[in-house]
Order: sequence, then structure tokens, then C-alpha cells
Amino acid sequence: MKSRWLQFALSHPRWVFSGLVVAVIGLGTQMAKVQIDTDPENMLSEDEPVRVFHDEVKERFQLHDMVVVGIERPEHPEGVFTPESLGRIYELSKRVEDVEHVVTADLMGPAHVDDIREAGPGTVTFKWLLKEPPETQAEADQVRESAKRLPMLDGTLISEDGKSLAIYVPVEEKSYSYQVSQDIKEIIADLDGPETYHFAGLPVAEDTFGFEMFKQMAISAPLAALVIFLLMWWFFRSLALVVSPMIVAMSTVIMTMGALIGAGFTVHIMSSMIPIFLMPIAVVDSVHILSEFADLYPKHRDAKKTIREVVGHLFMPMLYTSLTSAAGFLSLLITPIPPVQVFGAFVALGILLAFLLTIIFIPAYVVALSPKRLAALVSNTQERGSTEPKGLLVRAVRGLRTVGLGAPKIVLAAAVLLIGLGSWGISLIQINDNPVRWFRASHPIRQADETLNRALAGTYPAYLVVEPAAEAEDPIEAARAVVEESGDDARLRVFEDLVKNADSGVASALDTQSFEDPDGEDIWIRALQAFETAESEGRVFQDPTWLAWIERLQQAAADLGTVGKTTSVADVVKTVHRELKGGDAEAFRVPDSKAGVAQTLLTFQSSHRPQDLFHVVTPDYRAAAVWFQLRSGDNQDMSKVRDELDAWISDNPPPAEAEARWAGLTYINVVWQEKMVQGMLESLLGAFVVVFIMMVLLFRSVLFGLLSMVPLMFTIVLIYGLTGFIGKDYDMPVAVLSSLSLGLSIDFAIHFLERSRQLKRETGSWQKALPLMFEEPGRAIARNAIVIAIGFLPLLAAPLVPYNTVGVLMAAIMAVSSLVTLVLLPAILWVGNRVRPAVPASGAHPQPSQS
Amino acid sequence: MNAWIFAATLAAASPSAQELVDKASQAQYYAADDGRALVRMMIVDGQGRKMRRQFVVLRRDVKDGGQQRFLVRFEQPADVRNTVFMVHKKPGSDDDRWLYLPALDLVKRIAASDERTSFVGSHLFYEDISGRGPGEDTHTLKEETDEHWIIESKPKSPNDVEFAKYEVHLRKQDYLPETIEYFDRKGEPIRRIEAARIEVVKGHPTITRMKVSDLRSGGYTLAAFGEVTFDLGVPDDVFVERSLRNPPAKWLRAR
Repeated sequence: MKSRWLQFALSHPRWVFSGLVVAVIGLGTQMAKVQIDTDPENMLSEDEPVRVFHDEVKERFQLHDMVVVGIERPEHPEGVFTPESLGRIYELSKRVEDVEHVVTADLMGPAHVDDIREAGPGTVTFKWLLKEPPETQAEADQVRESAKRLPMLDGTLISEDGKSLAIYVPVEEKSYSYQVSQDIKEIIADLDGPETYHFAGLPVAEDTFGFEMFKQMAISAPLAALVIFLLMWWFFRSLALVVSPMIVAMSTVIMTMGALIGAGFTVHIMSSMIPIFLMPIAVVDSVHILSEFADLYPKHRDAKKTIREVVGHLFMPMLYTSLTSAAGFLSLLITPIPPVQVFGAFVALGILLAFLLTIIFIPAYVVALSPKRLAALVSNTQERGSTEPKGLLVRAVRGLRTVGLGAPKIVLAAAVLLIGLGSWGISLIQINDNPVRWFRASHPIRQADETLNRALAGTYPAYLVVEPAAEAEDPIEAARAVVEESGDDARLRVFEDLVKNADSGVASALDTQSFEDPDGEDIWIRALQAFETAESEGRVFQDPTWLAWIERLQQAAADLGTVGKTTSVADVVKTVHRELKGGDAEAFRVPDSKAGVAQTLLTFQSSHRPQDLFHVVTPDYRAAAVWFQLRSGDNQDMSKVRDELDAWISDNPPPAEAEARWAGLTYINVVWQEKMVQGMLESLLGAFVVVFIMMVLLFRSVLFGLLSMVPLMFTIVLIYGLTGFIGKDYDMPVAVLSSLSLGLSIDFAIHFLERSRQLKRETGSWQKALPLMFEEPGRAIARNAIVIAIGFLPLLAAPLVPYNTVGVLMAAIMAVSSLVTLVLLPAILWVGNRVRPAVPASGAHPQPSQS
Repeated sequence: MNAWIFAATLAAASPSAQELVDKASQAQYYAADDGRALVRMMIVDGQGRKMRRQFVVLRRDVKDGGQQRFLVRFEQPADVRNTVFMVHKKPGSDDDRWLYLPALDLVKRIAASDERTSFVGSHLFYEDISGRGPGEDTHTLKEETDEHWIIESKPKSPNDVEFAKYEVHLRKQDYLPETIEYFDRKGEPIRRIEAARIEVVKGHPTITRMKVSDLRSGGYTLAAFGEVTFDLGVPDDVFVERSLRNPPAKWLRAR
């Protein structure tokens, strides 16, 4: 079969070219449909319970994703609390109302919240905190004082030092955050004041990330292509030759991305890196073919014959390296994180595509080259091949021989030591992520994050939703039970009618009925009482004992230190109660009776923003949301808060059995991370098994199968050990690279073992074969490692940390796995075959010295 | 001061619109000399979740188109029963308002702010209950049909209100507003009040069902005015602070 398509490619190169052009254009045009998705929520599939719950919580408590706009005036002693600054903030607030995709009703800023306060003896007032621009400093001071007095606002709307303000701009959809923040920036530019503005909050960070990511896709991938191109030109010194792998790489990238987008997948942060991953991988196979072609062509002087021989030679190793790399990425399908799965599947697809293109397009390309070009190629190669290879690479690879074969036992001991160190490093790994830290420290988003989280009680939201486990007793049932008990069927029928027609409420109908049926007055009154009791008891979060428990929970949260602030229905009740009772601090408490709470809340609802109450409790008072503000979006901090409070709750159970569940973006990040860490481990183990089986099949030897796993095991342990030692968080890109390094390190092992077995067969002994490995085969491995490592370096220029991480780790993986392949594998083979310090037969090369 | 003169000039330029609004205010808020209604409210939020309120409103006009007294006593839900609001409405200056919370045994005066705060968590504003002063806006007669006058009103102090203008469809037959629609600065409708049922009670055309919708959130409040009576002869001394703690049962609900 192999020879048949090769025959076709060689005899119909133009068909191959047109086929490729059609495929590239066909799939390439799909890219126009691209949809960017940077929502970390999508790291979990939509039906994931925590996401379903999170959406439900957002709906039930009418919560929106918020863009946080922090306003400072650092050089002024009053901060922003001057008439002029507040005037501008007032204007900004009013104009933000008109920005598209802003949920105006839930805007939370000084001009949009109520000030509840004692206004002289026996008087209470509700008015807008910043009703109009203040005219005097005294009025400005009043705004500050009022905001500091209200626990719901202190640390949220006004900074803890009382100098800065924040406006929380709710957006209809998280994906409008960037647009909304840009529109607000335009208004700010208009205001032209001395204030500085900061934009923070997860939605803005995430959405801005998408914007930057899009830019990076247009910069990093072409830059990687350029670097690889220059690198190959330097290695091969033939433009005609180097162009073909570039065509393979570009076509692979375009077709893969086209297929991904055409299949309806969004481009997530993971999949945006596909081009950068595929580019070097696609180049490598072509490089193998071309370098061997360049070596053999001068012998045959016949392009078709040469290419047949080359492909025949390289087909199996190339197939296996492609399959194993693909398997490494396919293993990501085990990880239950959809964007990671898509990434894995399409990189694997790209790898296989690159393989096909390499063995079809490259031969066609080569035979289509004009004889003149081929002649030039020959002269180039001959020039290179005419002398004994020299240069840095040659010397470096030979130097490795001195280490690997010269001191194999020391190498083995060092390997064991390194594995030990690596394992220790792994035990130090901090599993942590934070979408805001995906930006470099110098990025405005990071700076805003730092400034605002210093000034406010935290811009990272999480919610703990508490709900009693028992269903509320249906008030109608309670009333029906009373009527039924009376044993009068006629009355029961009246009752049913009354329930059916009581559009204005059953209570009122029962009340009326007690007058209309004097004989049954007592029954109707008792039914009404039963109805009201059930109704009232159902309203759990008007019950002082429940509110007291919520207060204690909030205290426990405050004691943790990591939580900037919590807000609950208890805070609303206490604040209104304080102002009703004259504004004294001792009145800052929950009233003793349920009716007291209900009447306090009724008073609160007579404000400009009655709906604010239902951000912390549902209208039926059966579920309460405690708002957490965290100063850090680090998953570690969020999981600590969750673990500690879950423990507190089990030690301090609520008044009745209840469910307490977490929601909020900050919490969702924790959930997907936990799933990813577990999933990655499973992916890695899965890939390990699959690759091992493939290796055993390829080498037809369990021993060699095991041996081929050594470099990748070593690489993974060392890379993650290093990650642990330098304190780099184990985050999303770091996690994904485990499968990547597996896929790539195995390439080196395959090439090394395959070639050394071949050489052993040719030379007759390991003694003779192994030193030869440090010539052309060793150089090929080193060259590949360098191409890939350097090919990823453009990522370091990206302003996004995950891209940098991948760039650095790829270079490290390439360095470690190539070194391990070239040092540890020969050492094992050397020691394993009990090779005595004999003189190898190959004369021209220096002997391995044995200590 | 300049602004005030300017506004006054504008109002004078369209006397018929102002006249209509004065008459409408009279018809809707000053019918008879006093009155009482049992008000049942169903507050429905954007997700269809319902809350109920029931209270009795007692009103007495000190002078037609001028001062008024209101007493509002809650009956439902049970937890807020006997909570009482009292208002001395004084057009042209700030109203006096009181609140009594029985569970806290607390009488409190509510200092004047603007009147566009929620009435006990419903979509009605305090002002929708007591009536917006006809002099607070500049009115223009936009259109006249066989049955309606369509009047556009713009606030004289836009900072005090959440709307940029509103449009009233005033019924010619009884001067009652059939719909009032409020618009924001962008001209988008944000709020609507509909008179869902109008009945003639003791010779007074009366809105007995009202729907107030928040067009942004999709929430609305249905208010039903039942047991409407007029000319009870309520004396002025019912509307005093003492009545908050001891609501005069005689006047609040006839059984």
C-alpha cells in the first residue's frame, strides 16, 4: 500500500500539489468562522454539576458578572472625596448607565446605592449616597462617612482607607466585559480629571485575555515559523529544500485549525496554542527525509529512486514517532476538561496530518524540483559532506559520549540521585492557578488587580449558598388539614374553591371566609393561623436563630484571614436595625423575633433598591447567599477557604439540617483545576501504558520497550521536580505539558534505540555500535531538539504568562530528554550488556574511556 | 432661579396640558373627601417568583389638590401585620412620613428624600401611591384621539428621578390615566403603569386594578384595590402619631 501511494505521488506530483491547495483553501476558509472563548468556566462542560449550580445561583440571586472600576486620586489628601472628583465620578456613573450591555438596574456605585441613616432624633432616611455632585468639602466628607458606616459598602464600594471608590458594573454576559471596559475608558478619557482608574475583576481579566490571545495567535505562530525557517536554512543552506518543510508545517497548521473551527469548536486558550505546537512537530519529519535525501541523492543521481529508498527506510520510525506523539496528545481525552480534550484531539490530528503530508508531499515536491535545483542541492550537500564534520554541534554530541560511555556507572548513580531529587521536587509542587496571573506582572490588569485588592476587601467573588434540607410545609396543606379535621365535607369543598379562586392570596380569602361563615368562624380562623404559621416558618432566613448562625459563619470566615469580607442578609438586617434604633453601634444586631426581622426588611425594601435584598436571600427566604470577597484569585486560597469553612460547618451545624454549597467564578476555577490535576494524572498513566505497548510492538522486545520509556520518565520527573523547586505553580499549561513531553521524548528514544539496534546488527556488537551513535544519529537528535526548543522560543515574547511557560518548559523538555537519551540510554546499554572497556572497532573516532 | 422661571414659562406656553394633568391628579388622587381601600399586591420578579402584601389605605383630603393624609396598615404577610405608615402630604414641600414597626415597638419619622423609592418592595413607587405633584414636570399635549389625550411630561429636576420623560394616555371620559410609560435618556421604555380595571364606585371612577411593570427586569406588581369606599367622614385627628401604635380599627376596616 505504501508503495502504491508513493508511486502515485511520484508520478503525479501536480495532482498532489493541487490536492493540497484545495484542501488547504477548503479548510483554511473555515477559519473565518473563528470564535474565541476565554471563559475559564468552559474548562468544565456545561452540564458539570458545579456549573449548573453556579448558573442556578446566579439566576436565583440575580447575580451578574461584574467589571470593577476602581478610582483613586493618590496625590490628594482626601483621595477622591473632593467635590470635583465626586462630580466627575457622578458624571461617570450616570454615563455608564447608557453603556451597552450594562445591567443598569444592578449598577453598584456611589450614585446608585442607597444611604440608610439616622437623620436626627427619631428619624431615618433613605437617599442616594451620591444624589448629585457635592458642592462643598463637607458634603464630600458626608459621602465618605456614610459609605464607611454601611457594612455592605465598606471595603466593597469604598476603600478601607476611605480614599478611593469603586463602581461595580454588571454586564449582561461575561463576554461583553472587555467591550464594556473599553467603552468606560472612553468616558473616562472625556472626563479629563487627575483621578486614576483601574479595571479589575475576573470577567475583565478573562475577556481581555481573549483579546490578547487573538493578537498572539497572529504574532507567535508566524514568528515560530520564521525562527524555524531561519534555523533550517542555517542547518541545510538550501532555500529550495527548506521551503518544503515550511509548506508542510503551514498546511498542517491551516488544515488543523480549519478543521477545528469548521467542526464548530471555539478557540480556547489551549487550542490557540495548537499552531505553535504543530509547527515544530510538523517540520521534524520532513527534516529527516530531506537530510537523508540530501545524503543519498549524490550516490543515485535519480530523484525517484532516492526518495523511494529514503521513504522505505524512514517509514516505520516516522510512523511510530508520529503515532506515539499522537497517542501522547490523545491521552488528553481522558482529562475531563473539554478545551484540553479538543486541544489533545486536534494536535494528534495535526501530527498524523503532518505525517501524511511528509510522506506524500515531500516526495512529490522533490521529484518536481528542476534538475538545476537538484544539482545545486547536491553541490551544497557535497560541500557539507566533503570534510569531516566539525563545529559546535559535533563536538558537543561527542562530548556526551565521553560522559555516557566513559562513566556509565557514575551516570547511573547520578540518574538515581536526580530521580530522587526530582521526586522530592514534585512533592513540593504547589497546585495553583489564577486567570489574572495569566498576565505578566507589568500588565495593566495585574496592576489594577494589585491596587484594588490592596484598597478594597477583595475583587474575587465566591458565594456560599445555604438552604435547609427539609422542604417547607405548604401553607395551603396546613390550612387544609385544619378544615379536614373539622370533618365537614361542605366546608372542605368551600376551602378547595377558595384556594382555586384566591388570586389575592389564600390568607385573605380565609380571613374573609371567617366572617362569611359565622358557624365555622373558629375553624376558618384556625385554618388561617395554620396557614400563616406555615408560611412564616417557611421563611427560614427571617428567623433570628438562622441569622445568628450565618453571623457566626461569617465570623469564622473573617478569622481565616484570607477572606477580605463577607456580606449576608444578616448584615442587611443589622444595618437597617441599627439605623432604625438611632444609629448606635450596640443596635447593630439582629432583632429578637421573626416579625422584627420581617419588619426591618420591609423597611429596607422601601428604599430605591429593594431588589438588592434578593442578591443575598431568595424572595421566599428559603435560601441565603453569603458573599465572599477574596483578595486573591489564587485557587489555593479559595480551596483553603472552602475546606476550612466546610469543616467549620460540620463542627457547627446550622439550626436544622441544611445544605451549604459553593458557587462563584473564583470557586469554579478551583473545581476545574482539581479535575484537571486528577485528569492529567490519569491521562499520563493512560498514555504511558499505550506508548509502552506500542514500543513493545515496535521493538518486539519488552526490555527495549521498557528502555524506551526511560527518557520520558526521567524528563517528566525532572521537569516537574524543577517546577516544584523553583516554586512555579502547577497551573493549566504546566499540567498539559506532561502529555506533550511524553509524546516528544519518546521520539528521541525511538530514533536512538532503532538506530543503535541497526548499528549493532551492522557492527556485530554494542561495543562497536554505541560509540557510533554519537555521530550522525546523535546529531540528528540534537538538531531536532534544538529546532523544537528554539522554535518555541518566540513564545517568550508574548505578554501572556501561559505562553511564556510553554516556551520555557518546551526548551527544558527538549534539553532534558535529548540529554537523557544521549547519556543515560547508552550508559544503561553499556552497563546492561556488561560491555568491558574494550577498544571499539571504528577507527576514526576517539575511544570511549572507561573509568 | 432662572431655571425655575424658564420652566414656569414653558408650562404657561401649554396651559391645556397642565390643566389636563391637574384634572387627572384630582380624578386619581383626590376623589371625594376621603376614602378607603383594601389593597392586595402581588409582586412578581423577573423569574416569576411571587410575594404578596395586603394592607388597608385610609385617605383624607385636607384640601382638594392640596394637603392630604394617608394611613396604611399592613395585614399580610403575618410577620409584618400592624406595621403602619402615615403620611402628611404637602404639595410643594416635603411630606411628613412616619413608620411604626410593632415587633420593634418603634415609631420612626422618615426624613424626606425623593419620592421614587419603592413602596414596600413592590414595583410601585411611594409617589405612585400618593400621586406625583402636577407641578413637578413640564407637560406637553402630544396628541389627541377620540378617547385619549396623550401627554408627554419631562421632569423639571431630572436628577431627582430615574426617567427622562413619561407619556400618559389620559382617558377623556374620566381623566384617569390608562397607561403611563416612562422612558430613559436613550428613549427606551423602562417602566409602565397600566390601569387594568376602572370601576365607578359611589360615582367616582376608580382604578381598581393596576399593573406596574419594570420593563428592564421583566418584573411587575399587580395591585388590586378592593372594598373601595368614599366619604366615610374620617376626622383629621385619626392621622396623628398616636394612631400608629393604636390604629383606629373603626376607620381602617369595616366588618
